[in-house]
Amino acid sequence: MTDASRSPEPMIRLESLTKRYPGQAVPAVDGITLDIPKGEIVVLVGPSGCGKTTVLKMINRLIEPTSGRVLIGGEDVTRADADELRRHIGYVIQQIGLFPHMTVAENVGMVPKLLHWEKQRIAARVDELLELVGLDPAEYRDRYPKELSGGQRQRVGVARALGADPPVMLMDEPFGAIDPITRDRLQNEFLRIQADVRKTIVFVTHDIDEAIKMGDRIAILREQSHIAQYDTPEAILTAPADGFVEDFIGAGAALKRLNLTRVREVPLDHWPAASVHEDRARLRRLLAESEQGSLLLLDEEDRPLRWVTARDLAREREPLHRVGLPATAVVEPHATLHDALDEMVTSTVGCAIVVDRRGRYQGVVDLGTVTSAIDEMRSDVRRRDRAVAEAEAAPGDAVGEVG
Amino acid sequence: MDFFDYLGNVPEYLRDEWRSYLDLAIDHAQIVVTAILIATVIGVGLGVLTYRRPPAAKVVLTVTGTFLTIPSFALFGLFIPIFGLGSRPAIVALVMYALLPIVRNTITGLRSVDPAVTESAVGMGLSRGQRLARIELPLAWPVVVTGIRVSTQLTVGIAAIAAIVNGPGLGGPIFQGLRATGTQRGFNLAFSGTVSVALLALLFDLLFQVIARLTTSKGLR
Ligand SMILES: Nc1ncnc2c1ncn2[C@@H]1O[C@H](COP(=O)(O)OP(=O)(O)OP(=O)(O)O)[C@@H](O)[C@H]1O
Ligand SMILES: [Mg+2]
Repeated sequence: MTDASRSPEPMIRLESLTKRYPGQAVPAVDGITLDIPKGEIVVLVGPSGCGKTTVLKMINRLIEPTSGRVLIGGEDVTRADADELRRHIGYVIQQIGLFPHMTVAENVGMVPKLLHWEKQRIAARVDELLELVGLDPAEYRDRYPKELSGGQRQRVGVARALGADPPVMLMDEPFGAIDPITRDRLQNEFLRIQADVRKTIVFVTHDIDEAIKMGDRIAILREQSHIAQYDTPEAILTAPADGFVEDFIGAGAALKRLNLTRVREVPLDHWPAASVHEDRARLRRLLAESEQGSLLLLDEEDRPLRWVTARDLAREREPLHRVGLPATAVVEPHATLHDALDEMVTSTVGCAIVVDRRGRYQGVVDLGTVTSAIDEMRSDVRRRDRAVAEAEAAPGDAVGEVG
Repeated sequence: MDFFDYLGNVPEYLRDEWRSYLDLAIDHAQIVVTAILIATVIGVGLGVLTYRRPPAAKVVLTVTGTFLTIPSFALFGLFIPIFGLGSRPAIVALVMYALLPIVRNTITGLRSVDPAVTESAVGMGLSRGQRLARIELPLAWPVVVTGIRVSTQLTVGIAAIAAIVNGPGLGGPIFQGLRATGTQRGFNLAFSGTVSVALLALLFDLLFQVIARLTTSKGLR
């Protein structure tokens, strides 16, 4: 892992960016310096009024900074033509602000039109983008915003921001006004889209859980946008810089950390497993040879069926698919360790069964897997911090340093 | 003779004279439409220039509001030395009366555009002019049209008084009729003129309903 504050070529660099609103004693944003690496989602998170929106709007110059600079791709944009600049920066706000008198297609095609794309190219781009955000172009292209649900509007908002394929996106609490279930779905969809498009994204939220979920890096801001900590979610959860960060993360940091690791990233344990059609003597031998008290029976297609113990196997008159306990607590590789833990505690044998996309048995994760994953994360962060400390001992440039 | 006796004789009169009332109505409509077109250009223009500057907006609204309080007789009379007789003084006066509803509704309409819509338009890189032409005016349009419609109703009535400066239109027979009050001829003239004005106003209103429908985006209805 590289340290964000000294990544070689950031896509966006904020240099001592300051905003003092007229008539206010203290600046709303006080000299924030931050590097945002290319292709990553950087989340600005912090309490209400700490200046997140102000920082974001200084990047596309909806707010002119009092002092400091914004560099995008190495170029100072503080003096560029603002309208031209904004056409190459996607912008999504909580209230979305779709144009109510225009169809979905006209909304999404707005920026390409401003850039004088040809009609056919715009139409093709609109369909491509609607497809990308999961809206069937044939059905939604000609609808008006009032004919959409809140979630659909937000998707159109994201599609519109991606209009002319801008390298940079700014998002101000984009999912803030949406019910928790839809929000969760939109977040997942957005992460899937981002895996595809690899934009450089500055994402503002005041919800630490959303920050952990969405961010490749998180900047935790305190009042006047002073950076309390700027690091990966893992590092922030494992080693909060100070009491402010600790308070901000809130209780349950360890549990939140489990959201960061997916089942496919941890080594699976192997439980004795065999086909339900095996002969009982073999099954008994298998069980006796293992250290476990039960055996996992699989069906013809290797899908988990039942947990059986030696006592269950002894009940010769009952068919095997009816003895023992049903094999519940099944998770797929993309589930998080948090999901797995959730399943685990409901399972009779204390572990979650991992299956592939077709439901075939792959292995299990148990509490041991979870704790060692946490330990791993912790020592990763420690190792990295030590490396950073050593690098710091040697003089270097201090751009992006915690203020 | 009482009112109903007079009224009973009107149909016969109109059978012979309806053509001249049609001609007068067309003249009447012409000065109204001319005045409204000019007032719309000036009114929307003033609205666009002032909706973001509350002090300026206040001045414009006060001045155009004052126009409306000037008695029309007096205004038409005042214009004779400046513009002479005929349709010119009539149109100038009608424009003045038509301004307030149009300016006021333009300002109200533009100010009621959702700030989130404006913010996203700015954020996407629409220039000031593009924002106005493609976003703000289309969104304010239904309110602006209502203002124009009110102004039209107002001017259809006031235009009748333009006859005192020799202006064209349905004011002619009305004034002639009023000068001959108490005679059947006077009643015929005044009554037919007045009813024609009312009918014309009704027609304009219908026309505006059609215009409003045709020029408002389906997304706003
Ligand atoms: N236009 C303005 N004029 C004066 N003060 C402002 C203006 N906009 C914001 N502020 C002040 O600047 C500070 C930062 O505001 P900002 O909107 O950036 O906060 P935020 O972190 O986005 O908050 P929230 O989480 O509530 O959206 C606040 O104290 C706010 O009152
Ligand atoms: Mg904000």
